[in-house]
Amino acid sequence: MRAFTLLLFLLSAVLSEGLFAGSLQVTVKDRKGEPVANAVVSAEGAGGGTTHARGEVIIDQRNKQFIPYVTAVQAGTSILFPNSDKIRHHVYSLSPVKTFELPLYSGIPAAPVLFDQPGFVTLGCNIHDWMIAHVAVLETPYFQVTGPDGQVTLKGLPPGKYRVQIWQPLLKAKPEQLAQSVELTAGSTRALTFTLDLKPDFRVSRAPGLSTGGYP
Amino acid sequence: MKTARALWLGLLLVIPAGFAHADWRLEGETGGEYESNLSNSDRANEEKEDWAWLTHALVANGWQLSRDLRLTLAADLRSRVWARFDDLNMIGGGALATLRYRFGLGNEAPWILLEEKFGYDRYRDTSWSNWNESAALRGGIAVSSRVALEAAYEFENRAAPDDFYDLQGHTLDARVIAHLTPSWQIALGYSYRQGDVISFAVPPRPDIFSIARVRPGVAIFGTNPRYNAYRLRGHTHTVSANVGYLLGRSVSLLFGYEYAVTLHDPLVYDNHRVQAQIAFAY
Repeated sequence: MRAFTLLLFLLSAVLSEGLFAGSLQVTVKDRKGEPVANAVVSAEGAGGGTTHARGEVIIDQRNKQFIPYVTAVQAGTSILFPNSDKIRHHVYSLSPVKTFELPLYSGIPAAPVLFDQPGFVTLGCNIHDWMIAHVAVLETPYFQVTGPDGQVTLKGLPPGKYRVQIWQPLLKAKPEQLAQSVELTAGSTRALTFTLDLKPDFRVSRAPGLSTGGYP
Repeated sequence: MKTARALWLGLLLVIPAGFAHADWRLEGETGGEYESNLSNSDRANEEKEDWAWLTHALVANGWQLSRDLRLTLAADLRSRVWARFDDLNMIGGGALATLRYRFGLGNEAPWILLEEKFGYDRYRDTSWSNWNESAALRGGIAVSSRVALEAAYEFENRAAPDDFYDLQGHTLDARVIAHLTPSWQIALGYSYRQGDVISFAVPPRPDIFSIARVRPGVAIFGTNPRYNAYRLRGHTHTVSANVGYLLGRSVSLLFGYEYAVTLHDPLVYDNHRVQAQIAFAY
């Protein structure tokens, strides 16, 4: 009987999540109307107070590139930085939100790095200057990163008011300046569009340039 | 020179064995070059202009010795083929070693770099063929993510079978490099060189004769008339503008213009050099 009650409780919880949760369809484009990839879309409930995550995420290093270029995690998430190349990398961040170094290593580092403060972190490799990646550390568990089509769908949001924010590594404005408020009712789906002003991408190139003193 | 060559060769063989996970890089450049005064002549009617096709390939291997210190060893092959004055056609090769120290993490940290090169260039006119080496101290600092400053001192030494063609020189160089857009870069530079130069003139030139060593009747620039070669020490001021355009992840177009004036009273000559190359790195 006790097992049956527990099963019923779990079933109702799952069904209510599915039936009563809302979703957000977000489209991100630039001023020319082109879809914007690598934009982090997040929805924060008006009540806030979400517990921190305990998960682990991977940012790989392959063919002298970080994969993926943009990662979004909830604060409290650990990120592992395996090196899949046959050469050594030296991962670092100088961002105030999370400053760290993983000096020259190959294979899988001994421990993941904990990202416990919300904010935006830029990663680099001290050997290969063109290797850049970004981590958005968010309070909310509701987020996704846009692909080449500039679209994401945030699912499973409980009914309520949300503040939807967007961040992209080349974003000119601060994320809070572009935030949009939206209210979701049970089972509803809302569509939002963000139009971004983006800065030029001055990432270091792998191709030969005019500077000396870089790589090799 | 032989000891230095043996030392570098030893380093090239020994060091790779001591470090795992070396980082290979291949680079290549090819393109055209124009020089308005290849003969370094001070009289306009004696200046010889020409076009050349340049090719350069380099294979490099880098070792990160510590967080901030990086050693790179490289070998290169180069050639220059002139349209008219083919006695100056050259093929050469060599090796270079650089030791770079970066004061911090990332590409915006200031850096200094010690560089040693040696090589052999064989010319069609073998009296120009030479063993050459150079040592340089370079440094750079990023003013912002888009602008960087670089400076260098370089000593070069060229030893030819005929010591008339030996050259030594000291060069100071400074330049600013800016990213105009994500694809376009520009570099503006100035350099000052003090050292041996070889100037060609149609004799008689008693004004140069009195200040220079002379090799009469060279045929590099033809036989009607034959030029005399004059070897002397000169000061060269060079201003340059280079533009780079990134074509893709590994390929760039590089364009350069250089204006150089060389002085040794009463001799004054200038040269315009234009280059356009396609460059590749992997």
